[in-house]
Amino acid sequence: MILHDTDRKILHRLQSNLPLVPRPFLELSRELNIDEDTIIERIKFMIENGFVRRLAPIINTQAMGREATLAAIKVPEDRIEEVSEIINKYSGVSHNYLRKGRNTNIPYNVWFTMSAKDDEELHRLLKEIEDKTGLTVRSMPTVKKFKIGVRFKIY
Amino acid sequence: MTNTKENCKEDIDVKLIKYIQEGLPITKTPYKDIGQALGISEEEVIQRLQKLLDSGKVRRLAASIAHRKIGIDANAMCVWKVPKERVDEVGIIMADFEEVTHCYERPTYPDWEYNVFTMIHGYTDAECEAVIQAIREKTGLNDYVILYSEKEFKKVGVRI
Repeated sequence: MILHDTDRKILHRLQSNLPLVPRPFLELSRELNIDEDTIIERIKFMIENGFVRRLAPIINTQAMGREATLAAIKVPEDRIEEVSEIINKYSGVSHNYLRKGRNTNIPYNVWFTMSAKDDEELHRLLKEIEDKTGLTVRSMPTVKKFKIGVRFKIY
Repeated sequence: MTNTKENCKEDIDVKLIKYIQEGLPITKTPYKDIGQALGISEEEVIQRLQKLLDSGKVRRLAASIAHRKIGIDANAMCVWKVPKERVDEVGIIMADFEEVTHCYERPTYPDWEYNVFTMIHGYTDAECEAVIQAIREKTGLNDYVILYSEKEFKKVGVRI
């Protein structure tokens, strides 16, 4: 399924804030020159068909008082499935990827992000993963943030 | 003594976020519909969301896109070895690229010396690599590793 230009225009705009006015889609219709009913219908279509995961508040974990980190583990090839399943079970894990170095071989291959209600809980959970897997978990929390804002160039 | 008025306000904010974190109603009047479900006015929903955005608790009220589905398949985590005194300068340069969606400084370990992380999204690996090449030229940095995601085990938005 391929999105046509109207959908792409809407999708591009939806990556920025939805106007906080009583008729937000009417305001978008003026910005995009697409009528309100069409905008609503196309957004529903894109949600139902999985192009848009959700139109919702994107929560800042830290500002909500939670602590978060990026963690990396060196997992032996034959244990990747088993270890990733253990990690995925935690509700605080939002991302979990198998990654391989392209230009250089690097030993850390499983990368995940985890958040918890505070620092103590975060460390307890990471330690629990170490105990369950017998592997060292390297925590790499943010020292300084230069950019966060996933907006994709849609064309 | 805790400030009960303050706690009460926060409870409604939490209720509001919990109600809409899986998705706003896609209707002509979404804020009114949320208000009706929660027993508060449309105006109050709008005001609370505005405050959550202003305070940074909510980064954006926006769409999360299934980027792979729309063809943005390449997702490169490029990590850089940057001398401590140059981190601020190069962090700003890297963040300036549209394709760089995240840019962070992170701690190093004896077996991990890469301290600046950039997430780069593109339609192809070649597009990501062109951005990396441009970053190299602008910063003069040459010590980096590109880590492509081979497999996505989990990816969900943060919920409260």
